[in-house]
Amino acid sequence: MQQEYDVVVIGAGFGGPVAAKKCAGAGLKTLLLERSENPGEKVVSGLTIPIYGFLFGPPFIRDGNPPVERPVDGIRNYVIYDVKAGDIEIVEMRIPRPLSPIFAFGYNAYCKPFCTWEAEQAVNAGAELRTCTTVIDFIKEDGYIKGVVTDNGETIRSRIVINSEGSQGILAVKAGVRDKYPPQAISLADTYDYDCPKEVIDRVFGHTLRFCWGFDELKIAPPLGHGNGLMSWPYRNSIHWMQDQCLAMGDGYVPNLRRLFDEYHENITTQLPWWRDEIAPSAKLRARMWEGFEIFVGLDDRLRNMPNYTDGMILVGDTAGLESTGLCDGVPTAWFSADIAADVAIEAIRAMDFSAKFLERYNRRIKAHTIIQWAITNKGRWNLRKAQESHDRKELRARINHQFGPGILTHAGTPLVKSLLHAIRKDPLVIMKWARMFPRYYYNWEHECSSGDRRPIDKQKKRSSGIGWVLFDSLVILFSPVNWAAAWLLEPLAGVVNPLIKVFLPAVELGLGVSIRMEPLFSPVTRWMIDSVKQADPSTFSVSK
Amino acid sequence: MARTSERFPGVEWIGDTGVFIKIDEKKCTGCGNCLKVCLGGCFEIENKLARIRSLDECMECASCWYVCGEEAIDFSWPPGGTGYRSDWG
Repeated sequence: MQQEYDVVVIGAGFGGPVAAKKCAGAGLKTLLLERSENPGEKVVSGLTIPIYGFLFGPPFIRDGNPPVERPVDGIRNYVIYDVKAGDIEIVEMRIPRPLSPIFAFGYNAYCKPFCTWEAEQAVNAGAELRTCTTVIDFIKEDGYIKGVVTDNGETIRSRIVINSEGSQGILAVKAGVRDKYPPQAISLADTYDYDCPKEVIDRVFGHTLRFCWGFDELKIAPPLGHGNGLMSWPYRNSIHWMQDQCLAMGDGYVPNLRRLFDEYHENITTQLPWWRDEIAPSAKLRARMWEGFEIFVGLDDRLRNMPNYTDGMILVGDTAGLESTGLCDGVPTAWFSADIAADVAIEAIRAMDFSAKFLERYNRRIKAHTIIQWAITNKGRWNLRKAQESHDRKELRARINHQFGPGILTHAGTPLVKSLLHAIRKDPLVIMKWARMFPRYYYNWEHECSSGDRRPIDKQKKRSSGIGWVLFDSLVILFSPVNWAAAWLLEPLAGVVNPLIKVFLPAVELGLGVSIRMEPLFSPVTRWMIDSVKQADPSTFSVSK
Repeated sequence: MARTSERFPGVEWIGDTGVFIKIDEKKCTGCGNCLKVCLGGCFEIENKLARIRSLDECMECASCWYVCGEEAIDFSWPPGGTGYRSDWG
């Protein structure tokens, strides 16, 4: 049986539903295909979704109630010089109290509930979701992709295909859109999920990620000269733990990861003091999984510039090689690119032009996207290998600080400030939405709920913060012309932020350090802020559509 | 019917995937790279050539496909609703 759609989206991971929702919302007949039974259950990730994904990504995520596992306030890096002698240095970057944990650096999440929630939003917007369906080929006519062929023999015609099948891009490679990525650019993420009581995680981790880095011979974190490492994420009642390593070294040598991962996992869980003494006694292994991701594709000019579109099809997210090379997250870039792909698909259908020449605007917009380009060209993690090769302690610490410590502000400052100003210039009232997002997410996390109808609303016991929000909104509205003008004036000057932070980095680091040390003084304020959000009427955080 | 594995808790394999990874014996040099990166132990060497031992614990990462410099490995997505799944990814 042959079916016809305006848009077919392949893959209900993080990116696909974003594209499907936008296309369906624009009135297009949209089909979202997923090969697993439930969205997200084949996706593996150690997952902190950085805050810029929520601030500048799809409005339905920013203004909605996605299921998050824990707000994250920063990263604590363990720079391990000699684990047995306890020679370990800590490099920390985090948002100080009382701002955190309500104002978060990002949010941890399991893939399945998050992707399922996204797919539900797409379905609510009118998209059709079909699970248990694998795309095995494309319908090709006159050089154009005009639909897909599924594993049960269906041919589904569409005006345009948005391909978010995942980093491997099996279909995209077989269709000749882009080449297979070399193994040197692919990192294999060996991921463990540990069940652990919430009170232990609260005490040991709080809201801070813990990353471990070391020299090769320690066999603690698997660097093997490629800047790979070991990362652990606190979730609600569990800890996600991931070691990752590129599939091949620069010279093409393929390490025996099957043996090495087991060895490294054994070493770190028995030798690293905080894991061995504080976590191991109460943690129980619940799951072990792995997945490859295209960690260093963006750093190679040829790979980065491979086609991400063809006649009748657009590639998004990991399929287009948009994994962040620095923070090694792929979700925000998947959201941004899926959003852009949907815009281009809508424009193409209006113009009835699905040629590569028309779809080239997708590539232009990806190349012009400030955060995507920063994320996929950041060499901080790659360059860690230089310190690992040199065995220079000072250099190792400096490079970790540059990528996962306060030094990140010297390269993330400009793209973040520029995106912030750009968003305010486009809509000065977005500030009201950002201001509600943080407490809403925190409220949802505290109350273990993720959707509006599951919220335990008991207005008798809720504090009303209505007047405060009315006052805040009034000020934002009153000053919106000023904010718009300031954003319009300052956006072109955002390029000075990185050099300025570079000059003043010692002062920034000092300020952060002092703020963290002074946190006990602010604990009453922190408690008041948390209690206010926990006990608030959640309707005050909702954003009208 | 879902299958589980003692070695890899928290993961299920659903249904019959069929043979979605194939090795071209004419191209395979027996280098063993696919064995080294496959955490699920899906490959073995027999008569100096790689062969599929079992896809029962494959997590569909395609690492074997990436590291095969001879393009001897053909990887396809398994049929809809089959293969690896987890609630904890």
